[in-house]
Amino acid sequence: MKISVDQAFAPPGEGWVSVSPKLTTARRLVLVLVLIPLLAVAIIVLAVAGQGLIAGLMALGGLLLLIYLWWLIGRRVRSFGYVEREDDLLVTSGILFRRLAIVPYGRMQLVDLVAGPIDRSMGLATVQLHTAAATSDAKIPGLQPEVAAGLRDRLAKRGEGRSAGL
Amino acid sequence: MTPWVRTVQVVPVVLIAIVLFGQGALSGLGVSPVLVTVGILIVIAVLVAGVQFLAWDRLTYWIDAEGDFRIDSGILTRQQRRLQLSRLQSVDVTQPLLARVFGMAALTVEAAGAGDSRASLSYLPLADAQALRNEVIARSAGMKADVGEAPEEPLVVVPPRDLIISLLLRGTTVVLFAVTVLIVVTTVFTAGTAGLLVLLTGGIPLLIVFGEFTTYFNFTVARSADGLRLRSGLFQIKSQTIPPGRVQAVEFVQSWLWRRKDWVRVRLNVAGQPSADDGDGSSESVLLPVAPYDVALDVVKHVLPGVDLRAISLSPAPARARKRAWIQFGRLGVGHDDRVFVTERGRFVSYLAVVPHARTQSVRVTQGPWERALDLATMHVDSPPGPVLISALYRDAGEARAIAEAQNQRAQAALLSDPSTHWMRPENPPAPPTEEPPTH
Repeated sequence: MKISVDQAFAPPGEGWVSVSPKLTTARRLVLVLVLIPLLAVAIIVLAVAGQGLIAGLMALGGLLLLIYLWWLIGRRVRSFGYVEREDDLLVTSGILFRRLAIVPYGRMQLVDLVAGPIDRSMGLATVQLHTAAATSDAKIPGLQPEVAAGLRDRLAKRGEGRSAGL
Repeated sequence: MTPWVRTVQVVPVVLIAIVLFGQGALSGLGVSPVLVTVGILIVIAVLVAGVQFLAWDRLTYWIDAEGDFRIDSGILTRQQRRLQLSRLQSVDVTQPLLARVFGMAALTVEAAGAGDSRASLSYLPLADAQALRNEVIARSAGMKADVGEAPEEPLVVVPPRDLIISLLLRGTTVVLFAVTVLIVVTTVFTAGTAGLLVLLTGGIPLLIVFGEFTTYFNFTVARSADGLRLRSGLFQIKSQTIPPGRVQAVEFVQSWLWRRKDWVRVRLNVAGQPSADDGDGSSESVLLPVAPYDVALDVVKHVLPGVDLRAISLSPAPARARKRAWIQFGRLGVGHDDRVFVTERGRFVSYLAVVPHARTQSVRVTQGPWERALDLATMHVDSPPGPVLISALYRDAGEARAIAEAQNQRAQAALLSDPSTHWMRPENPPAPPTEEPPTH
């Protein structure tokens, strides 16, 4: 993989804080839990209907898709990063479609901490910021619960100090 | 009065329902269908009137000691609503046709906030609705309640002729009419059944044109100390007050056929969720349905004081952006002055978006695969939900980041020096109350 120092998405100063590699495991688990049963049902139905060839092709295609997504999840998780600066938070994500959001603490209206069942079992949580604009929602998934709670509290405190109306 | 207006509104619906669905059933009864229809109508009308009367009886509104606007309502389920007037975004007085006949009006107060942050009162006598509007605005400006109506000074009235021409000259209307003509011609020559398509290609744009014409008929923009007053409508009259400083972003839209006349439409982002029950919601975000650019600039000066858009020079996208956007390439630009950030995009319909630094929520840089191959990136400014999108498309990747960081700095500096939410200072009260000019 070519690591390009892309000007537009370069980290400020000390570099991106990346998210927990456990997120890769969590997402791969979801992938397997969703894709395998779906494929299995389709293949069994086709095989019972006597379409052995199509069932075989589907199994092969499914396997390739699984491997591709498996690999993609690894890259995608590595693409998440954030940096807390003095007055604002930077969040980046994405491989094919890259994204970098700069959200001033003073504009944050609320900070959510969310954790689904799989996330919880793996010890992960997502921090999500909301401003008055729906488009500026910045999400940081795959944080250790204590890191996430710490981040949320820091963001909320800084937001309070600087908050303004609209 | 309200229960009666609401009841009368129901009558035609019931009548149509009976005529459409009840005919077969009624003819079998051996009684005169007209008599039965009238009977059903009376029963339903009495029921509706009863329910509406109860609803009206249980609804109370007041402004409490803390200056919040309160509404308690509901027959079985009681609802208490409380709006912080310090977060007021806009106030509307609407007169649907029937309410107009009875001299009634509905008042809608909208505060900033996520979700449902508006309160509606329907119907009040027009004079009461206007008085309440004035009080709500005065209180949100941090003044005493009894200042009365601020005098207004008309700025623009959109002539109906310009409005209808502008609606017909829109790209979609013209293209659909051209298709209609094509279908008519081919149908005549081939005697096919394609003629039915004419209803779609010719009828729908006509309906849209008619709908917008009645909505924006006699569109009047007036200025007063409590904000800009917008008033329009042929059948249903809507008057909206936008307090100064509550405008989040402004956009000038120009269709390619409007260019010769230099006409633009001006749209706004005003904070507060667009409500679902308003249907399209487009009418509330329009500051001017059509006007010459110079006139539009004059009006926009009132919502963005101290901004001279003509003086802001836009820097074009780099030449290689042509490979990404070969149609709109020549019209991509971005610029700023010490108060606002401006972006331009679009070839056939061009959009000039303006956002004050103090209203910039956050900034983003995005890059798709094609942009990546050309080392381009797009910078966005996030504004509360509305029609205006602020995007500096296809800049040099490094430049996009630099623009984003610089805009972020300007936004934060502006945030610190943002004037208070109470915009009418007590030492500068508006002139004494005057007569409300006649409404149309």
